[in-house]
Amino acid sequence: MAQMTSQAARGLRVVLDPRGQPTASVQPSALAPRLDTLNGKTVYLVDIGFGGGYDFLEEAAAWLIRNIPEIQIELRHKRGNMFLDDPELFAEIKERGDGVIFGVGG
Amino acid sequence: MASARFAEFAASDAQNHGMNLRFTFPPYPLVGRPRSVLRQYVEGNDPVTGKPLMPQVIDALTRPLTEDEKHPKPLRGAPRPRLLKPDTEESLHRLFLENDWTDGLPIVLPTEERVAHMLTGTAADPNTVVGQMTITTLQEKLEYTVEKVAVNAVMAGAGPEHLPVILALAASQEGSMPSSTTSFARMAFVNGPIRDEIGMNCGLGALSPFNHANAVIGRAWTLMTINLGDSRLGETFMGSTGSPLNYNNMCFAENEERSVWEPFHVQRGFKKEESVISIFRGWSAINSMGAAGCCRPAQEEMLLILQAFPALTGSITFVMDPLVANHLKEQGFNTPRQLGEWISKNFKMPVGQYFGSDLVYSFGNPLARDGVEPYASWWKLPKEILIAPYHQPELINSVVVGGETQALWFTTDMAHTQTLSIDKWRPKSGVYQEDEETLRRRQARQKRHAAALKASGYNL
Repeated sequence: MAQMTSQAARGLRVVLDPRGQPTASVQPSALAPRLDTLNGKTVYLVDIGFGGGYDFLEEAAAWLIRNIPEIQIELRHKRGNMFLDDPELFAEIKERGDGVIFGVGG
Repeated sequence: MASARFAEFAASDAQNHGMNLRFTFPPYPLVGRPRSVLRQYVEGNDPVTGKPLMPQVIDALTRPLTEDEKHPKPLRGAPRPRLLKPDTEESLHRLFLENDWTDGLPIVLPTEERVAHMLTGTAADPNTVVGQMTITTLQEKLEYTVEKVAVNAVMAGAGPEHLPVILALAASQEGSMPSSTTSFARMAFVNGPIRDEIGMNCGLGALSPFNHANAVIGRAWTLMTINLGDSRLGETFMGSTGSPLNYNNMCFAENEERSVWEPFHVQRGFKKEESVISIFRGWSAINSMGAAGCCRPAQEEMLLILQAFPALTGSITFVMDPLVANHLKEQGFNTPRQLGEWISKNFKMPVGQYFGSDLVYSFGNPLARDGVEPYASWWKLPKEILIAPYHQPELINSVVVGGETQALWFTTDMAHTQTLSIDKWRPKSGVYQEDEETLRRRQARQKRHAAALKASGYNL
C-alpha cells in the first residue's frame, strides 16, 4: 500500500497486462531424416489447395523428371481444404514414399 | 513450398508449430498466372534467397539435418506478469499503442481499480479460465481468465453492465478477425431481456455509432481478439485489405418487440427469457440500396442481390428492418425458415459461375473431388446448367433490427457459428445497475420512438 501511495504521488499508474497467457500447447517435432540422393527415389508432390498451386507443382514435377531421370514422382491433391490433414494420404506417403514436398502456401 | 509473399509468415508459422521446416519460395502470386510464367518460376530463382529454386528443393531434401532440426527446442513464451511496470498515464498509453495492444483508437487504461469495478459485473471468479484463443488455424493458443476479459472490456470503454455479454463472446473462443488473407468480418447480436437492461439499441440506427452498449461490446470483441487471440499484423493477421467491419463486428440487438417473427434465439430452441449472443462469420454485407419491396417483392430483390456472393458456405443471413419482415409475412412467409426454403429453392446460379469462384476452388473443389454430394454431381455438369447452391435452407438466417423508417435490409454471407449464454455470466443481482440518469434518458428515447410510430398510423 505504501508503495502504491508512493507511485501515485509520483504520478505513476499501475495497469494490468491485457494479453492472454502462452499455453505451451505446441510440442516440438523433429524433421524426417534426409535422403542421400533423389535418384531412384519416390517423391510425393502434394498440392494443399491454394490457387495456382497444382499447376505450379506440375511444372516442378516436370523439372524434377527432366533433371533427375530416375526419380519417381507422385503428384497428388490433398483431400479436403488447405487447413485439414489427410491421414490416408500421409500414411501412404510414409509407406511408399521416400520424400515429400508440400505446396504451395499462399 | 510457399509463395515469397509469405516467406516471413511461413517461417514463423512453422516455428510456432514446433518445427524448423525447410522452405523454398517461388515468386508471388501463382494464382491466375499462365503456364509459361509458372515454368519461368520453376526455372528461375527463389526471390527470397536469390538462389536457383529447384536445386534448392533438392538440397532441402538431401542436405543432412542440423542439430536444431533433429532436436528442435520448445517455443514457449514466458508467462506474462499480471501487472505492467508502473508508469505515467501518457507513457502507458504510448506503450499500449506501440505494442499494438489496441485497435488504434484511444483506450481506457486498465488500472487495478477500474478492472476491480468491471468485475462487479459478473458473479464469476476473476481467476476462472474462460477459454483459449488464436486467430490462426493451428498455432499455439493463449489462455485467458475472467480478469483478462475484464481488462479488455475496460480498454474498450465498457461498464460492468456489459461484462456478461463480453464474457459470453470470450467464451466462444472465436476471434473476431481470423488470420485469413481474405479479410473476414464478423457479426454479433444479442437476444433476450439483457438488451434492455444494459441499454442496447435494436431500433433506429442500431448498426450505426450511436449507442454505448452496441459500440463497446463490439469493440471489446476486437480488443480481445488482438490481445487474447494473439492477432499481430503481418505475423498472425494476414487480411490483405482488412475489413472496416472489424472495428465493431456489426454488434447490435435484435428488435424482438417489433418483429412479426419469433426471435432468432427462440427459433434455435432457447427460451424467450434467456439472454444470449449469436455470432457469425463471413465477409460482406450489401445494403438493399433503396429496394423496399414497392416495385418488386423483397424476396425477388434478395435473389438478385445474392448473385454477388459466391455461395461458398451455402449460408446467408438477412439483417432486416421490422418493415421488411412484415412485408415478407404479407408475401406469405410466416417464419424465417419458410423464407429460407423459398430462397434455397429459387436461387439459381450457372455451375460454371459457382466453380469459377476462387473460394469455391479452395473449399468446394476438394469436396467435389472427394465425392461429397451435391458438389461431386455439380462438378460433372456443363457450365451453363443452373444449380441451387444454397441447398440447406437451415443455413439461411434472418434477424430483425431497425427503426422502421425504411424497409431495407442487408444481405450478408454471414454464417452462424455459435449462440452463447449471457445469463451464466451475470452477477447474482441479475445485472449491474446503470445510473438512473442513463436509464431515464433511454426510456425517454424509447417513448419518443413509440409515439412517433403511433402518430404515423403504422402498426404491425
